[in-house]
Amino acid sequence: MVSPVLLIAVPLGLAFCVPLIGLASRKAARLVPIVASLFNLVVSVSLLRSALEAPIVARLGGFSEPFCIVLYAGPVGLLLSALVALAGFVIAIYALRYIDKGPTTKYHTLYMLLLVGATGVVLTGDVFNLFVFFEILCISSYALVAYLGDRGGLEASAKYLIQGAVGSGLFLLGIGLLYGLTGTLNMADIAQRIGDVGPVPAFVSLALIVAGLGVEAAIFPLNAWLPDAHSSAPSTISAILSGIAIEVGLYAVVRTVFTVFGATSMLMFLVFLGVLTVLVGEMCALAQKNLKRMLAYSSVGQIGLILFAVSLASSASVAGGLFQLVSHTMSKVVLFLAAGYMICRSGSTEISSLEGMGRRMPLTSFAFAVAALSLVGLPPFAGFPSKFMIVRAAVAEQGPVFLILVGLVLVATVVEGAYFFRVVQTLYFKKRDDVSAAADGHDVVPGAGEGRGDVRERRDAPVLALVPMFIVVALIIAIGVYPDAITGVLDSAASELLERAHYIRSVLG
Amino acid sequence: MNFLNSYGYYIGAFGLVFIGLLIVLSKQNLIKVIIGLSIFDTGINLFLISVGYIRSGTAPIFSRPGMDPGGMVDPVPQALVLTAIVIGVAVLALALGIAVRLHREYGTLDLRKMRELKW
Repeated sequence: MVSPVLLIAVPLGLAFCVPLIGLASRKAARLVPIVASLFNLVVSVSLLRSALEAPIVARLGGFSEPFCIVLYAGPVGLLLSALVALAGFVIAIYALRYIDKGPTTKYHTLYMLLLVGATGVVLTGDVFNLFVFFEILCISSYALVAYLGDRGGLEASAKYLIQGAVGSGLFLLGIGLLYGLTGTLNMADIAQRIGDVGPVPAFVSLALIVAGLGVEAAIFPLNAWLPDAHSSAPSTISAILSGIAIEVGLYAVVRTVFTVFGATSMLMFLVFLGVLTVLVGEMCALAQKNLKRMLAYSSVGQIGLILFAVSLASSASVAGGLFQLVSHTMSKVVLFLAAGYMICRSGSTEISSLEGMGRRMPLTSFAFAVAALSLVGLPPFAGFPSKFMIVRAAVAEQGPVFLILVGLVLVATVVEGAYFFRVVQTLYFKKRDDVSAAADGHDVVPGAGEGRGDVRERRDAPVLALVPMFIVVALIIAIGVYPDAITGVLDSAASELLERAHYIRSVLG
Repeated sequence: MNFLNSYGYYIGAFGLVFIGLLIVLSKQNLIKVIIGLSIFDTGINLFLISVGYIRSGTAPIFSRPGMDPGGMVDPVPQALVLTAIVIGVAVLALALGIAVRLHREYGTLDLRKMRELKW
């Protein structure tokens, strides 16, 4: 059996080979991310089978626990690392054609570092290691947001960097405090000792860590950077940030609250934050005229929904939240990738300029529509069973408060339906009066730097862009028709998050 | 409780953290904001060091047999700070790089004048 260490070591090693390969051939360098993420996908899925029976714990550095750095490859970690690798794989194929200008070799290096950071965050069992992988993820995404080098991208990157740096500073402060209180950095060891610490210092360090990670996870009051960063980045980067980076941030929050601190008293607060995030995200998305900004706000709403479900902390709701995470990642990747070439062909990021796209780019529009309907939660797509699981689990909770909260979440879902149907309607049911009207009738908006293709071009997106979209579309439909394919994994992932004692035992023996 | 043993360092560390945060929140010049971030980072590093510091402690090296580990400073936070400094430098370099590009685009570093997006 291969060790989970390879999931980090191989892409990290290859990431630094990319510039060297790029010296010989820039074309070969573009293939490296595809190879690395395919490797990660295969290894994660093959390890997942044995991790369902017992989590794989890898000890690094030759020390015995709790002094070594531990990689904990349980169902949650491997599910998420498989998801990271899947998204990384399809987006890397898409980028073969899409990223053709600028320093492409540097793009691919940073892109791989981003994937390494995300994989590391979900696998590590050490809080400081979590911080380091988080910074790898964040620093490469700050740089990638500014990849196009236009005003919008640079500004969004500066904004993201300042807020992200403050967030990770708070996170590090929390880790320092936690180390001062418990004398260890191993998550399982901290979990064992946190009970002996006074409630106030433990709460302060938990608050610092949640606030710090909340910036990256885009939980409501801390999400100001997200719409700008996601809408100004190149579409491939928007897809990976929206589909992977914020989910990984949310995972870190959940892992800290559930496993490290076992803070059951904090959960109700997180449930409220989740509902607030859903409402704010969906309302803002409804008001947007810019396609990518709308998708970015919709990500905020979805993160809120996942946070809401996971914080209810019953095994059904946590499984539902993780299911929603999987279906959101798949839908958002397709939506941003489809939006990338639609914006390219229409020359504008405005939703109104997409009129008649259903005829001009039938395949891209079809992928977009499937992903949008899945995100809204219509059968037979993956979004339906996931939302259904969340609502069923939330209704099963005792107390009228939960009914009100579920009601609010459902209202938000209706709002989500409204703005996605609006876009789908624009794609298919509106005729364009004049082909050139949309091309130059709009102001230059952030992200318009991407619209550099021939505006009047009537062709669909190139095959290299359609193949990755349809791989994911097929998965969305397959999981929607047959959700039992992954519910087994989700159930054991939920029990891994909920059973602290089992986590501690499997690391410390 | 050795947590309270060296109170002064914590006051200094949190003083720097708050000064840094105040600069980040209140200044409009991008370079000043970046300086604020740097001060913020320094405060955090000082805090991490003080967590493991013992007054008149020795280096954590067992150079002769029978040395008392109780008189040694904790090496772990120092290793953490080393990593944190490297990460801080990377963020600082990237931030300054973006500041240079923004200055080239706008001819100013005033954040109020950069209005491409909704700040």
